[in-house]
Amino acid sequence: MADLKILAVDDSPTMRRIIINTLKRAGYTNVVEASDGKDAIAKLKVEDVNFVITDWNMPEMDGLTFVKTIRGMDEYKSIPVLMVTTRSVKDDIVEALKVGVNNYIVKPFTPNTLKDKIEQVLNG
Amino acid sequence: MAISEKLYGKMQSEVIALASSINEVVGKFKELHSPLTESREKVPKATEQLDKISEQTEVAASQMLDKVEGITQREDDVIQGLNGIKEKVASGNLTEIVPMIDTLIEKANTTSEDAYIIMDALQFQDITTQQMNHAASLLEDIEERLHSIVGVIQGSKETNDSYSEPNSQRKERAYDPHADYSDKKTTQSDIDSLFAGEK
Repeated sequence: MADLKILAVDDSPTMRRIIINTLKRAGYTNVVEASDGKDAIAKLKVEDVNFVITDWNMPEMDGLTFVKTIRGMDEYKSIPVLMVTTRSVKDDIVEALKVGVNNYIVKPFTPNTLKDKIEQVLNG
Repeated sequence: MAISEKLYGKMQSEVIALASSINEVVGKFKELHSPLTESREKVPKATEQLDKISEQTEVAASQMLDKVEGITQREDDVIQGLNGIKEKVASGNLTEIVPMIDTLIEKANTTSEDAYIIMDALQFQDITTQQMNHAASLLEDIEERLHSIVGVIQGSKETNDSYSEPNSQRKERAYDPHADYSDKKTTQSDIDSLFAGEK
Protein backbone atom coordinates (compact mmCIF):
# COMPACT_ATOMS: atom_id res chain seq x y z
CA MET A 1 0.00 0.00 0.00
CA ALA A 2 2.82 2.37 0.91
CA ASP A 3 4.41 1.90 -2.53
CA LEU A 4 1.21 2.55 -4.43
CA LYS A 5 1.22 5.91 -6.18
CA ILE A 6 -2.26 6.96 -7.20
CA LEU A 7 -3.16 9.54 -9.85
CA ALA A 8 -6.51 11.25 -9.09
CA VAL A 9 -8.01 12.86 -12.19
CA ASP A 10 -11.02 15.17 -11.84
CA ASP A 11 -11.80 18.65 -13.14
CA SER A 12 -13.45 19.58 -9.83
CA PRO A 13 -10.86 20.73 -7.25
CA THR A 14 -13.41 19.90 -4.53
CA MET A 15 -13.74 16.31 -5.77
CA ARG A 16 -9.97 15.94 -5.97
CA ARG A 17 -9.66 17.05 -2.35
CA ILE A 18 -12.43 14.66 -1.27
CA ILE A 19 -10.81 11.75 -3.13
CA ILE A 20 -7.32 12.55 -1.79
CA ASN A 21 -8.58 12.86 1.79
CA THR A 22 -10.55 9.63 1.49
CA LEU A 23 -7.49 7.86 0.08
CA LYS A 24 -5.27 9.17 2.87
CA ARG A 25 -7.73 7.96 5.47
CA ALA A 26 -7.68 4.53 3.81
CA GLY A 27 -3.89 4.51 4.04
CA TYR A 28 -3.03 5.60 0.49
CA THR A 29 -0.90 8.66 1.14
CA ASN A 30 1.04 8.83 -2.11
CA VAL A 31 -1.35 10.66 -4.42
CA VAL A 32 -0.80 13.01 -7.36
CA GLU A 33 -3.58 14.90 -9.09
CA ALA A 34 -4.60 16.05 -12.57
CA SER A 35 -7.49 18.23 -13.77
CA ASP A 36 -8.31 16.44 -17.06
CA GLY A 37 -7.17 13.69 -19.41
CA LYS A 38 -4.43 15.72 -21.08
CA ASP A 39 -3.03 16.83 -17.74
CA ALA A 40 -3.23 13.20 -16.54
CA ILE A 41 -1.18 11.91 -19.49
CA ALA A 42 1.43 14.59 -18.75
CA LYS A 43 1.52 13.51 -15.09
CA LEU A 44 1.82 9.82 -16.03
CA LYS A 45 4.93 10.65 -18.05
CA VAL A 46 6.74 12.33 -15.15
CA GLU A 47 5.39 10.51 -12.09
CA ASP A 48 5.83 6.85 -11.29
CA VAL A 49 2.09 6.20 -11.05
CA ASN A 50 0.75 2.67 -10.63
CA PHE A 51 -2.98 3.28 -10.13
CA VAL A 52 -5.40 5.76 -11.74
CA ILE A 53 -8.70 7.09 -10.45
CA THR A 54 -10.47 9.15 -13.09
CA ASP A 55 -13.65 11.12 -13.60
CA TRP A 56 -15.50 10.91 -16.95
CA ASN A 57 -16.89 14.39 -17.70
CA MET A 58 -13.96 16.77 -17.98
CA PRO A 59 -13.05 19.55 -20.42
CA GLU A 60 -10.03 19.29 -22.76
CA MET A 61 -9.95 15.48 -22.63
CA ASP A 62 -12.68 13.46 -20.95
CA GLY A 63 -12.04 10.35 -18.90
CA LEU A 64 -13.20 7.88 -21.53
CA THR A 65 -10.87 9.36 -24.17
CA PHE A 66 -8.09 9.41 -21.59
CA VAL A 67 -8.51 5.69 -20.83
CA LYS A 68 -8.75 4.85 -24.55
CA THR A 69 -5.57 6.84 -25.16
CA ILE A 70 -3.50 5.25 -22.41
CA ARG A 71 -4.72 1.76 -23.29
CA GLY A 72 -3.10 2.37 -26.67
CA MET A 73 0.23 3.27 -25.10
CA ASP A 74 2.54 0.35 -24.29
CA GLU A 75 3.72 1.77 -20.95
CA TYR A 76 0.19 2.29 -19.57
CA LYS A 77 -1.90 -0.36 -21.31
CA SER A 78 -2.07 -2.45 -18.11
CA ILE A 79 -2.19 0.29 -15.47
CA PRO A 80 -5.24 -0.24 -13.19
CA VAL A 81 -7.97 2.35 -13.77
CA LEU A 82 -10.93 3.03 -11.50
CA MET A 83 -13.55 5.38 -12.91
CA VAL A 84 -15.41 7.60 -10.40
CA THR A 85 -18.18 9.52 -12.15
CA THR A 86 -21.77 10.74 -11.96
CA ARG A 87 -22.61 8.69 -15.06
CA SER A 88 -24.91 5.93 -13.89
CA VAL A 89 -26.67 4.98 -17.14
CA LYS A 90 -25.93 1.33 -17.91
CA ASP A 91 -24.83 1.97 -21.52
CA ASP A 92 -22.18 4.41 -20.25
CA ILE A 93 -20.87 1.86 -17.77
CA VAL A 94 -20.67 -0.78 -20.50
CA GLU A 95 -18.79 1.69 -22.70
CA ALA A 96 -16.30 2.36 -19.90
CA LEU A 97 -15.84 -1.35 -19.44
CA LYS A 98 -15.19 -1.78 -23.17
CA VAL A 99 -12.44 0.84 -23.30
CA GLY A 100 -10.58 -0.85 -20.47
CA VAL A 101 -11.73 0.64 -17.17
CA ASN A 102 -11.04 -1.94 -14.42
CA ASN A 103 -13.81 -0.87 -12.06
CA TYR A 104 -16.43 1.83 -11.73
CA ILE A 105 -18.02 3.90 -8.96
CA VAL A 106 -20.94 6.29 -9.28
CA LYS A 107 -20.76 9.59 -7.36
CA PRO A 108 -21.58 10.33 -4.64
CA PHE A 109 -19.50 7.47 -3.24
CA THR A 110 -18.74 6.36 0.30
CA PRO A 111 -15.16 5.97 1.61
CA ASN A 112 -15.73 2.23 2.02
CA THR A 113 -16.79 1.82 -1.61
CA LEU A 114 -13.68 3.62 -2.84
CA LYS A 115 -11.42 1.54 -0.60
CA ASP A 116 -13.14 -1.74 -1.58
CA LYS A 117 -12.93 -1.04 -5.30
CA ILE A 118 -9.24 -0.12 -5.13
CA GLU A 119 -8.56 -3.38 -3.29
CA GLN A 120 -10.67 -5.37 -5.78
CA VAL A 121 -8.76 -3.90 -8.71
CA LEU A 122 -5.40 -4.47 -7.06
CA ASN A 123 -6.30 -8.06 -6.18
CA GLY A 124 -7.42 -8.73 -9.75
CA MET B 1 -67.68 45.47 -69.17
CA ALA B 2 -64.86 43.47 -70.60
CA ILE B 3 -61.55 43.81 -68.90
CA SER B 4 -58.87 45.03 -71.19
CA GLU B 5 -55.94 42.77 -71.84
CA LYS B 6 -53.61 45.35 -70.31
CA LEU B 7 -55.59 45.51 -67.08
CA TYR B 8 -55.90 41.73 -67.00
CA GLY B 9 -52.14 41.38 -67.35
CA LYS B 10 -51.55 43.85 -64.56
CA MET B 11 -53.98 42.04 -62.25
CA GLN B 12 -52.39 38.71 -63.10
CA SER B 13 -48.92 39.96 -62.21
CA GLU B 14 -50.27 41.45 -58.95
CA VAL B 15 -51.89 38.13 -58.04
CA ILE B 16 -48.67 36.26 -58.84
CA ALA B 17 -46.68 38.71 -56.70
CA LEU B 18 -49.22 38.31 -53.87
CA ALA B 19 -49.01 34.51 -54.10
CA SER B 20 -45.25 34.74 -54.04
CA SER B 21 -45.37 36.95 -50.93
CA ILE B 22 -47.77 34.54 -49.22
CA ASN B 23 -45.44 31.64 -50.06
CA GLU B 24 -42.52 33.57 -48.64
CA VAL B 25 -44.42 34.31 -45.42
CA VAL B 26 -45.44 30.64 -45.13
CA GLY B 27 -41.82 29.65 -45.69
CA LYS B 28 -40.69 32.05 -42.95
CA PHE B 29 -43.24 30.61 -40.54
CA LYS B 30 -41.97 27.10 -41.36
CA GLU B 31 -38.43 28.27 -40.62
CA LEU B 32 -39.63 29.62 -37.28
CA HIS B 33 -41.30 26.34 -36.32
CA SER B 34 -38.16 24.33 -35.65
CA PRO B 35 -36.30 26.84 -33.41
CA LEU B 36 -39.51 27.66 -31.56
CA THR B 37 -40.24 23.98 -30.93
CA GLU B 38 -36.67 23.33 -29.79
CA SER B 39 -36.74 26.36 -27.50
CA ARG B 40 -40.08 25.29 -26.05
CA GLU B 41 -38.67 21.83 -25.28
CA LYS B 42 -35.45 23.15 -23.74
CA VAL B 43 -36.97 25.69 -21.35
CA PRO B 44 -38.70 23.03 -19.17
CA LYS B 45 -35.49 20.93 -19.16
CA ALA B 46 -33.44 23.91 -17.95
CA THR B 47 -36.08 24.71 -15.33
CA GLU B 48 -36.09 21.07 -14.19
CA GLN B 49 -32.31 21.11 -13.78
CA LEU B 50 -32.42 24.36 -11.79
CA ASP B 51 -35.15 22.94 -9.52
CA LYS B 52 -33.04 19.80 -9.04
CA ILE B 53 -30.03 21.92 -8.02
CA SER B 54 -32.16 23.72 -5.46
CA GLU B 55 -33.53 20.45 -4.02
CA GLN B 56 -30.22 18.60 -3.94
CA THR B 57 -28.34 21.53 -2.42
CA GLU B 58 -30.99 21.56 0.29
CA VAL B 59 -30.58 17.80 0.94
CA ALA B 60 -26.78 18.03 1.15
CA ALA B 61 -26.86 21.18 3.30
CA SER B 62 -29.33 19.51 5.64
CA GLN B 63 -27.09 16.41 5.96
CA MET B 64 -24.10 18.60 6.75
CA LEU B 65 -25.99 20.74 9.25
CA ASP B 66 -27.17 17.60 11.10
CA LYS B 67 -23.55 16.55 11.51
CA VAL B 68 -22.32 20.06 12.40
CA GLU B 69 -25.00 20.31 15.10
CA GLY B 70 -23.84 16.94 16.49
CA ILE B 71 -20.19 18.05 16.41
CA THR B 72 -20.83 21.36 18.20
CA GLN B 73 -22.90 19.63 20.89
CA ARG B 74 -20.19 16.99 21.34
CA GLU B 75 -17.46 19.64 21.50
CA ASP B 76 -19.36 21.32 24.36
CA ASP B 77 -19.44 17.92 26.11
CA VAL B 78 -15.70 17.46 25.48
CA ILE B 79 -14.86 20.89 26.95
CA GLN B 80 -17.02 20.09 29.95
CA GLY B 81 -15.38 16.66 30.31
CA LEU B 82 -11.85 18.12 30.10
CA ASN B 83 -12.73 20.68 32.79
CA GLY B 84 -14.05 17.80 34.91
CA ILE B 85 -10.78 15.89 34.45
CA LYS B 86 -8.80 19.03 35.32
CA GLU B 87 -10.76 19.38 38.60
CA LYS B 88 -10.25 15.69 39.45
CA VAL B 89 -6.50 15.98 38.82
CA ALA B 90 -6.30 19.18 40.91
CA SER B 91 -8.11 17.51 43.81
CA GLY B 92 -5.97 14.37 43.51
CA ASN B 93 -9.02 12.20 42.79
CA LEU B 94 -7.68 10.13 39.89
CA THR B 95 -9.86 7.03 40.14
CA GLU B 96 -12.64 8.33 37.87
CA ILE B 97 -10.34 9.82 35.25
CA VAL B 98 -9.92 6.76 33.03
CA PRO B 99 -13.64 6.28 32.26
CA MET B 100 -13.95 10.05 31.67
CA ILE B 101 -11.06 9.91 29.18
CA ASP B 102 -12.64 6.88 27.46
CA THR B 103 -15.85 8.86 27.02
CA LEU B 104 -13.92 11.77 25.51
CA ILE B 105 -12.05 9.44 23.12
CA GLU B 106 -15.39 7.99 21.99
CA LYS B 107 -16.78 11.47 21.39
CA ALA B 108 -13.64 12.52 19.47
CA ASN B 109 -13.94 9.42 17.27
CA THR B 110 -17.59 10.17 16.53
CA THR B 111 -16.67 13.76 15.65
CA SER B 112 -13.97 12.52 13.30
CA GLU B 113 -16.50 10.19 11.61
CA ASP B 114 -18.96 13.07 11.26
CA ALA B 115 -16.28 15.30 9.72
CA TYR B 116 -15.70 12.65 7.03
CA ILE B 117 -19.44 12.34 6.45
CA ILE B 118 -19.56 16.12 5.89
CA MET B 119 -16.69 15.80 3.43
CA ASP B 120 -18.56 13.03 1.55
CA ALA B 121 -21.69 15.18 1.41
CA LEU B 122 -19.62 17.91 -0.25
CA GLN B 123 -19.64 15.77 -3.40
CA PHE B 124 -22.91 17.57 -4.08
CA GLN B 125 -20.76 20.50 -5.28
CA ASP B 126 -19.46 18.51 -8.27
CA ILE B 127 -22.90 17.07 -9.03
CA THR B 128 -24.74 20.40 -8.88
CA THR B 129 -21.98 22.07 -10.95
CA GLN B 130 -22.71 19.52 -13.69
CA GLN B 131 -26.45 20.18 -13.37
CA MET B 132 -25.80 23.93 -13.66
CA ASN B 133 -23.59 23.38 -16.71
CA HIS B 134 -26.39 21.36 -18.30
CA ALA B 135 -28.94 24.12 -17.56
CA ALA B 136 -26.51 26.78 -18.87
CA SER B 137 -25.93 24.75 -22.03
CA LEU B 138 -29.70 24.48 -22.64
CA LEU B 139 -30.08 28.25 -22.15
CA GLU B 140 -27.23 28.89 -24.60
CA ASP B 141 -29.00 26.66 -27.15
CA ILE B 142 -32.20 28.63 -26.62
CA GLU B 143 -30.27 31.88 -27.16
CA GLU B 144 -29.03 30.51 -30.50
CA ARG B 145 -32.54 29.49 -31.55
CA LEU B 146 -33.87 32.92 -30.62
CA HIS B 147 -31.09 34.45 -32.67
CA SER B 148 -32.12 32.44 -35.70
CA ILE B 149 -35.78 33.40 -35.12
CA VAL B 150 -34.83 37.09 -35.08
CA GLY B 151 -32.89 36.48 -38.30
CA VAL B 152 -35.99 34.99 -39.98
CA ILE B 153 -38.25 37.81 -38.76
CA GLN B 154 -35.79 40.38 -40.07
CA GLY B 155 -35.82 38.60 -43.40
CA SER B 156 -32.19 37.72 -43.20
CA LYS B 157 -29.88 35.54 -41.16
CA GLU B 158 -27.76 38.63 -40.61
CA THR B 159 -28.60 40.67 -37.57
CA ASN B 160 -28.43 44.39 -37.08
CA ASP B 161 -27.07 46.39 -34.15
CA SER B 162 -30.23 45.88 -32.11
CA TYR B 163 -29.49 42.17 -31.60
CA SER B 164 -26.03 40.87 -30.98
CA GLU B 165 -24.62 37.50 -32.06
CA PRO B 166 -24.61 34.73 -29.44
CA ASN B 167 -21.27 34.61 -27.67
CA SER B 168 -18.93 32.54 -29.83
CA GLN B 169 -16.33 32.38 -27.01
CA ARG B 170 -18.43 30.10 -24.85
CA LYS B 171 -16.94 28.17 -21.98
CA GLU B 172 -16.41 24.49 -22.71
CA ARG B 173 -18.93 22.71 -20.53
CA ALA B 174 -18.28 19.14 -19.39
CA TYR B 175 -21.31 17.63 -17.72
CA ASP B 176 -23.43 14.54 -17.35
CA PRO B 177 -27.06 15.47 -18.18
CA HIS B 178 -28.22 12.73 -15.77
CA ALA B 179 -25.98 13.77 -12.84
CA ASP B 180 -27.97 13.33 -9.66
CA TYR B 181 -27.10 13.42 -5.96
CA SER B 182 -29.58 10.76 -4.90
CA ASP B 183 -30.91 8.99 -8.00
CA LYS B 184 -28.43 6.54 -9.48
CA LYS B 185 -29.70 4.87 -12.66
CA THR B 186 -27.61 1.75 -11.97
CA THR B 187 -26.83 0.41 -8.50
CA GLN B 188 -23.28 -0.37 -7.38
CA SER B 189 -24.17 -4.07 -7.14
CA ASP B 190 -25.35 -4.06 -10.79
CA ILE B 191 -22.10 -2.33 -11.78
CA ASP B 192 -20.15 -4.96 -9.83
CA SER B 193 -22.05 -7.70 -11.69
CA LEU B 194 -21.19 -6.11 -15.05
CA PHE B 195 -17.50 -5.98 -14.19
CA ALA B 196 -17.50 -9.44 -12.60
CA GLY B 197 -19.00 -10.80 -15.84
CA GLU B 198 -16.01 -9.52 -17.79
CA LYS B 199 -13.44 -11.36 -15.70
